[in-house]
This record gives sequence, structure tokens and C-alpha cells, in this order.
Amino acid sequence: MIDCSNVRFTYDGERFVLDGVSLHIADGEFVCILGGNGSGKSTIAKHMNALLVPDEGTVVVDGHDTADDEFVYDVRSTAGMVFQNPDDQLVASLVEDDVAFGPENLGVPTAEIAERVKAALKKVGLVGFERHETHALSGGQKQRVAIAGVLAMQPRVLILDEASSMLDPRGRKGLMRVCRELNGRGMTIVMITHYMEEAALADRVVVMNAGRIACEGAPEEVLTRADELAKLNLDVPYSCQLGLALQATGVAAVPHVAEDAMVSQIVGMAKAAGVLDESGRERRIAPADDAAEDVGQGEVLLQFEDVSFSYTKSSKERGRKKRRDAVAERAKWGNDPDAVWALHNVDLTVRRGEFLGIAGHTGSGKSTLIQHMNGLLHPSVGRVLVGGRDLADKKASASAKGRVGVVFQYPERQLFAATVFDDVAFGPRNLGFSADEVERRVADSLARVNLDVEALRDASPFELSGGQQRRVAFAGVLAMEPEVLVLDEPVAGLDPVARREFLELISGLHEQGTTVVMVSHSMDDLAALCDRVMVLKEGRVVREGTPSRVFMHAEKLNEIGLGLPAPQRMAYALIDAGVPIAGDVLYSIDSLAAAIAVALDGGAR
Amino acid sequence: MNEVFSFGSYYPGESPLHKCDARTKLVLGFVFLLAALCARDFAGLAVIAVFVGFLYAVSRIPFGKAMRSLAPLMAIALICALLNLFVDQSGETLFKWGIIEISTGSVRSCLFIGCRIILMMMGMSLITMTTTTLDLTAAFERLLGPLERFGVPAHELGMIMGIALRFMPQFATELVDVYHAQISRGAALDGSPVKGLRMLSSVTIPLFASVFRHAEVLSSAMDARCYHGEAGRTRLHPLHYSVYDAYALAAFAVLAAGVIAANMLL
Repeated sequence: MIDCSNVRFTYDGERFVLDGVSLHIADGEFVCILGGNGSGKSTIAKHMNALLVPDEGTVVVDGHDTADDEFVYDVRSTAGMVFQNPDDQLVASLVEDDVAFGPENLGVPTAEIAERVKAALKKVGLVGFERHETHALSGGQKQRVAIAGVLAMQPRVLILDEASSMLDPRGRKGLMRVCRELNGRGMTIVMITHYMEEAALADRVVVMNAGRIACEGAPEEVLTRADELAKLNLDVPYSCQLGLALQATGVAAVPHVAEDAMVSQIVGMAKAAGVLDESGRERRIAPADDAAEDVGQGEVLLQFEDVSFSYTKSSKERGRKKRRDAVAERAKWGNDPDAVWALHNVDLTVRRGEFLGIAGHTGSGKSTLIQHMNGLLHPSVGRVLVGGRDLADKKASASAKGRVGVVFQYPERQLFAATVFDDVAFGPRNLGFSADEVERRVADSLARVNLDVEALRDASPFELSGGQQRRVAFAGVLAMEPEVLVLDEPVAGLDPVARREFLELISGLHEQGTTVVMVSHSMDDLAALCDRVMVLKEGRVVREGTPSRVFMHAEKLNEIGLGLPAPQRMAYALIDAGVPIAGDVLYSIDSLAAAIAVALDGGAR
Repeated sequence: MNEVFSFGSYYPGESPLHKCDARTKLVLGFVFLLAALCARDFAGLAVIAVFVGFLYAVSRIPFGKAMRSLAPLMAIALICALLNLFVDQSGETLFKWGIIEISTGSVRSCLFIGCRIILMMMGMSLITMTTTTLDLTAAFERLLGPLERFGVPAHELGMIMGIALRFMPQFATELVDVYHAQISRGAALDGSPVKGLRMLSSVTIPLFASVFRHAEVLSSAMDARCYHGEAGRTRLHPLHYSVYDAYALAAFAVLAAGVIAANMLL
């Protein structure tokens, strides 16, 4: 279907982004192309649908050479491409008009266009969305509309260029399901990604590095080579990590890419060792709900008292409501079917020095919650206190901006100044500090995010790499030296290496004494970093406590649609199958491997 | 945020007005404006008001909703009308203070202008409420078509308009996000002019950057979907004339006659 032979390509005439890539993709295959930043994976994808033409070598798609001008549109309608940013691919205001864009360009007759649009929307699970406005869709839905737009051209290959990296877990799952179904019906799929869970489902995995193919093969072969992948700046799936950790403890386990396979392997080993206990389920002990929990020590920096918020009331009404009795207010709720409450009865306390995690899906009220923390929004009911002062007071609200520093999602989008120095200095200057103090703060904050002040101070923020831009944006907030640092999905859209570095950076800041509140939809990150976790669903706090407390209630979390951290998930699967490991502990990969080793050892004696 | 775009935005329906071709609506809308400007007296305005009422009844759009969506523009009507209070000074003087003078003539003029502007807005918003933006841009493109031989890129202009309309809600959201981010860094509009300017640039520059970012990827995406200009392009919803356009033309002929009659007889 697609044949790349010795492709070499350069953007700027100096560095060869592709340095001799030979890749063959058969009809109906599901291929995943992995690689770190700068490995050339996106570039080779763009060659496959003739957006780029190789400087040396050839790319042949379904018999057509992409370098041949005459066949450009044949190539592009055979190999359809979906890009990374959901917002950048939709051309029309209504879904059906956008899906029709491709066939319209190909000159397909009107009646047939309508049929194709309907069929395409059915394949991506968006039947009935024809007259919806595109800007009102969620990220995952937008990507599916983009796929439908490509499907309407009736391609034979679907190329996804990191199409899931800007989506939340739900969106990613939806996308993977669509791809699997399409592949099941015979579509060739080429997926460029850095998510291991997605790579694990492919027929073949190709790993690229520095413009060349580093290794390729079945997922089981490639994804278990942890050392090689680590050298290529890629992560290893959690089940593989468990397998390798077990090997380190002396257990002869084979790392598997799929969690089920890993779990069954361990269960098999437990059976062979004679330690399997068939009555597994009862052993899953969770700490009692009313067990006394340590109320943390330390000064309360930020507090929410029974906060509720609705977007639909006018601000005047909101002002009036605040003066009414809160009790009477609650009684009224039952009678108001039209009110859309973004937050219900939220109580929250943040103490000095702690690391609070907030989990919840998009739409659970996370963003609204964050905007209350520094006074951007004021509650319809209840109060928000920063340092003991109610933010309803204008002065307290203004000073809260400096005391509670908020880093929004994709913070690099807010860079604006002519130089890095000016951008980072924006915050301190607004707070009214002297030039010397501003200078000190900028140097300090840039150092804390591991950027070289001297090298970058006069550089334009727009010339930096994505990762550097995000660090500059971070520094901009750190320069205000806030008491509480609030982070909204700080590692959204980053590749594995950058993710790890950023999380280490945040962890480092916390260790130096900063109080951190982090909003995330990655349970693994929250379990690893936070002192306390709060789970939000539809504006309510449904679960709160230490990570152990929160993540050990599998059923509740599954109901909400949030998963468990991977090690915990595997631990529960093992316990359910009867492997004798403790049921009242929150596991990490290493502690789980140790527990399994001990359990297996117990049988050997 | 969505309220910003509810002014005159599309209200789905199956009325004869909805079924008219978008080109007819644009051209007749222009004729309507001319008719409104030709009316010389309240009698002429009355004819137009009856006509507008008739059109709203035909379109089956809830009147309350339509009026609410016009509310933001009432300010313009009010200002224009009030300015007239001080201009036309015929008739007996009602009030005089220095150079400020109000007379019966100016009051009449003020009311007349006010009513006329409101009627014109009501008529025009009927067009946007019964026509999707896609049809509007297509109509715009087709009407400009004959000018292509003189170098006017009608298709490209239509495409630009369509994409701009598609991205407006998105940029509104992005503007709010950037605004929040900069406010959270202590920016404020009050204070010295220098600070205010800096604040403004901290909001507008990221927006410009994002426009270019979106444009780059969007053009690749359009390329990937084989966009190559107007040649050979078909449409999912092609514009086509129907019997309703004939009715519309007839109705407007009546309107024109009515206005002229009112001018001459009353």
C-alpha cells in the first residue's frame, strides 16, 4: 500500500530530518510509529500523503509516486490525514458541512456527498450530530469529526499524526475504538503516537530516532526492550515495567505488553507455586470510610466554604444571592430546574506545604474551581478565603492574584513580550516591585525551571521550542513568588520525556516548600506525587483523602469513569484471581513486584 | 460567551422565508434598505412596519426571541435618534438653553429616524435569522461571481468569510482564556496608560500568534483534503431558486408600490 524507499528530507537545507527511511506498509495493517521529539515521525507521515515530497528517495502510495504532480489529489484522497490539534482541522461551522468539505473538493455530486457524510458520521459514532456547531464539541468529538471528514473521501489509508495527544483519556479511548473498528473492516491505519497503550494494540511498531528507523516489529518484541526504548526517550508500558521489576527481584517473569497477559502469567506462576487462593475477592480490604484521618498540620492558605457556582445567573442576581441566607438558598434549589450549577457545595482546604491533587474529567468543574481560587470568579453561594481573607472583598481579590499563582492549560499560549525577560517580568512588574527586585525574581524563577538566564534573557519567546516556552510561562508565574501554586493539567500535550521532566520539576518545587494544587486526569501522576487527592464529578466532591484512601475504591472510581493508577489496577486483578498479596495498600510498580515476589516465595517454602 | 453571537444568529425553521434562496434574500434585503430610506413620512414607515410584521409572521420566528437578539444594537439606534434632537430645528421651539435647542420638528425627526433605524435592523436581522452562515457566504460568493473577470477573487473571499465565521467563537474563547491568564499575573486595565497598553498587548499579541498557528495547520489540513480552489468544486447544499423566490419578489414589488404610494398620497 505504502512504500517509502530511502527517503531523505530536510526542511532548512542543513539538517536532514529524514536520513534514509525505508518503510513498507501493507494493505490492512495497523502500524504505530513511535519516536521522541525530532525523530522525524511526523515528517515521514506528511510524506505519505504528499504534503511533503522527498529530497531523495521515493514514496509510492497505492501505485502512485507522490512526487508526480498529476497524482497529488489521488494520493491525498487515498491516504487521509488527521492532525494533532482538534481545533485546527475543522473548516466549517456545522459538522455536516465540515465532513462534506473533502468530497466537495473532489467534485462528488451533491446527492452522493450527502450519503458519504451520513456513512462517515456513522463510522465514527456521531450519528445525529449533523447540524451541531463544530466549536461546541469536545476535543474528542472534534477529532472524530476530523476523521469523518477524511473518511468521506473514501480513503484506503488513515494516517493519524499524534491525533490523540491533546485529548483527555475518554477522548483517547473513543479515538482508539474508532481506529480499531475501521481497521477491523480493512482500513490501513498508520498511527504516529507516543502513548504506549496505543502502540500495544498495533500489528506492528516502528521506532524512529534521528531520522532513521531504530527498530521495528510486533509490539511484544519492541515494547519490551526497555533499555533501548529508554535510550530513545520513550516510556515502557506499565505491564512491561512490572515484568522487568519482577525480573529484578529474581522472579523469572516475561514482560508482556498487555496487562491481561501479564496478570495471567503471574496468576499461572502463583498456581504453579501452590499459593493461589481461590476465594480472592473477599481479601480486597479497603480502609473503613469512617477511619480517622490525619487532619494535616500547617497554616491554612486557601479555603472554600460550601461554595456553589452557576454560570447562568446574571452577576447582579449573584450579588443579590450572596446577601441572602445560605440556608434559604439551599431550599430553593429544588425548585429551580433551569439553573446549571457548575459547582455544588464544595469544601476545600489547602494547607502550607502540601501537595493537593484534583482529579476529574473535562466538564467536572475543575476549571471553574481553579478560577475561584484566585478570584477570577466569585461563588454564587459560599465563600473563598485566601490567607483568611474573603475574596468577595475587592482588595483581597486583587492581592490573591499574587498569593495564588495559577498556571493554566497550555500556558505557552499566553507568551507575548518581545523578550523572555520581559515576559517573565510581567507578573512582578504588575505587582509593583522595584527594578532590582524584578531582576532578582526573574533570574531566580528562570533558574528554578532549569533555563539559562544569560542565554535566553534577550531571546524572543516565539523562537523557543515548545518545552522551553512552557517553562518560560511557568517561570512567569513563579516570579510572583506565590504562596500556593495552582496547576491546570501542567503536562497536557507533552511527549513522555517532557512529561517526566516537568513532573520532576513540579515535585522539586514542592520539595523546596511550595504548596502545590495540581489538576490532572492522570491517576498515575496523582498517585505518585500528591499528599491528598480530591475527586470531582459534575461539580461535586465525591471522594477526598490520601491517595491510599481515594485510589483503593475501585468501584466508585470506575462509576465516575476515572480509572485507577496502573499498578493498583493490576494488583486488584491479581487479588481477584487469588494471588495472596495485601489488599489494603496503595501499590507502586516496585512495591507490587516486591509483594508478588514475597507471595510466590511463600509457596516455594 | 455564546450570547455575543446570538445576535441575528440562525434560527432553524421551514418557513417560506427559510426556503428562499440566500441570494434572493441578500438582494431583496438591499432593496428593503432602499425602500426604508425612501419613506418620507410616518405613513411610509407604517407601510414598512406592516411589511416587517408580515415577514416575521411568515418566518414563524418567536417575536420575543428576535427582539432580545436585537437588544445590543438598540444602543446605536438610540444614539442616532438622540443626535437628531439637536439638529433639525423646524416647528416651534420647546426648549432652549444656550446653543442647545429642541423643537417639535426635532422631536419628530428624532422619532422618525429612531423608528426607521429599528425597522431597518429588524428587517436585516430576519436575513441572518433565516439563513445559515454557509448559505450566506455561498450567496455572497455567487453574487460577486460576475466580478471575477475584473480580478475580484469571489470564491476566495467567500471561503475567507466562511472560515472567519467558523473561527470567531473559538477566538472569543481564546481571548477570554488569555485574558484570565494575564489577569492572574496581576494585569489590570486601571492604572497608568503605559500599564494599560502593556495589558492590551499581553492579550492581543498571543491572539495574533494563535491566529498564525491555527492558519498554518488549517492550511495543511485543507491541502490534505484536496482543496484546490473553486475549479470543479461541488456543494453539499447548493443554492437553488424556487417558487418562494417568486413570491418574495412579488411581495417586495407590493412593498415598493406601497412606499411610493404613501409618499405621494400622504
